[in-house]
Amino acid sequence: MIEGIFVEGLIYAIMALGVFFTFRILDFPDLTVDGSFPMGAVIMATSLHAGVHPLNGLVLAFCGGISAGFVTAAIHNKLKVPHLLAGILTMTMLYSVNIRILSNRANLPLLRVDTLLTRVQSACEGILSPEIASLIFFILVVLGLKLALDLFFLTDLGLVFGALGNNEQMVRVQGVNPATLKLIGVGLSNGLVALSGAFAAQYQGFADVNLGQGIVVSGLASVMLGEFLIKSNRIWALTLRVVLGAILFKAIMYLGRYYGYYINMTPNDLKLITGLLIIISLAVSNYKRLRAKGDA
Amino acid sequence: MIQLDGITKTFNPGTPGEKTVIRDLSLTVEPGDFITIIGSNGAGKTTLFNLISGAVFPSAGEIRIKGRKVTFEPEYRRAMHIGRIFQDPLAGTASNMTIEDNMMITAQKGFRWPKISLNRGMRRKFAGQVKTLDMGLETRMKVNVSSLSGGQRQALTLLMTVLSGPDILLLDEHTAALDPSNAAMVMEQTRQVIQERSLTTLMVTHNMNHAIAFGNRLIMMDAGEIIVDVRGQEKQDLTREALIQMFADIRKKAFENDEVLLAT
Repeated sequence: MIEGIFVEGLIYAIMALGVFFTFRILDFPDLTVDGSFPMGAVIMATSLHAGVHPLNGLVLAFCGGISAGFVTAAIHNKLKVPHLLAGILTMTMLYSVNIRILSNRANLPLLRVDTLLTRVQSACEGILSPEIASLIFFILVVLGLKLALDLFFLTDLGLVFGALGNNEQMVRVQGVNPATLKLIGVGLSNGLVALSGAFAAQYQGFADVNLGQGIVVSGLASVMLGEFLIKSNRIWALTLRVVLGAILFKAIMYLGRYYGYYINMTPNDLKLITGLLIIISLAVSNYKRLRAKGDA
Repeated sequence: MIQLDGITKTFNPGTPGEKTVIRDLSLTVEPGDFITIIGSNGAGKTTLFNLISGAVFPSAGEIRIKGRKVTFEPEYRRAMHIGRIFQDPLAGTASNMTIEDNMMITAQKGFRWPKISLNRGMRRKFAGQVKTLDMGLETRMKVNVSSLSGGQRQALTLLMTVLSGPDILLLDEHTAALDPSNAAMVMEQTRQVIQERSLTTLMVTHNMNHAIAFGNRLIMMDAGEIIVDVRGQEKQDLTREALIQMFADIRKKAFENDEVLLAT
């Protein structure tokens, strides 16, 4: 049970890292996520059924996510459409694209195919239980992605991304085209999201085009929850708290799903809880900011 | 260095809100010029800078920088030659990033690849450069810029801008938001770096003493036109009184025009 929360939290943490990149670093609230998450899932499922190696399937899902992000960024850059609308457009179009990828189906089970998870679990057979094997596997995957992202933000290009969300004028004065940065940033972010979707499909044993409904909101909730856990301006701490926030979010959702009936809650109420969680987070951080101003 | 030829800028053309802020303006800036620009609010000083830097495009006319036609070139591309500092001390730095991160961002112009340049040697170099400001910031390289005072931020912005190696410096009332002692300090720093690097500079100021004391050429703008352009010896001999007289003459003329309008 407890492994399940951690594994799901870690899978969603990859998506939350993508959401953190756009919402917090780029200041580009990107709703493409609701479409690129199931996109990663359906690309992975289709690849596995076609006999593609799971690792190559992950690469394909990552590339699919990047191209979805490119579309959103291009709509925003070229047509001067607000970022929210650009994201909604891509997200809506992706619904049809995802069904096409699944050859006109809405879902695809992965019960009888070899996934990366079943491979890992069978490799560890006799040494580790399947649950512990997947937990260790996902800890390593998320740690690797987190460190890669940390390193990226320390590079010359990564630093400019930091400045873009802070002060776009400064970026332009430095001779960097903000449109190019948004293209790269939104692309990479959706690549991560699709990767997360690809892992989610393998973990759940199926891919569904409705997998992404409201996922951007849960990603945002994870990011905000994480911000209560650690106070820092170091990039390693920022990404770490996103991961911790995602696990905490999954734990809260788990509590709601299994113990919510004590207060007459059904699993259908979880979206309401997610929204309330974000609103409470916003209210608390607003209150803190106002108080900090009063003290100064 | 910069040539503006018959530049006109009209905002919202063809609407009731139509407003011409620059009127058939021509200006040639020689390499090494340090031009101070004064004029009342709405004279078009900031729009002039926006036109030169490419933040807005002219309705008519042609702009050349270093002999190359850049009239409709986007701002980020022109920025390879231009360093611009704004009145708002927050505008030149990224608040939520450290001093050394900010310096790394401005240490180069143009697009960059994901490689890590901010190593120990680079950190030492940045600390040494910050030390020249004599503000004790070299011990605070890892604090966020948001914790610096306005004067410190503006001094840091000027240092960073100059180190990024521009040919042209546009200063848009960059000391106006600072208290007098900080303003004097940043102005002194400005004078030093411009002299050291012989940068071609345009400086908008509301401080008439600064306009007279600094630079080799002075321009007064009014209603989108250059109405006074003095340089060389004439600029050196300029006094505050003479300048106020010029201002008064223009004001009077404008006032008379208003009277004429009201009479009819």
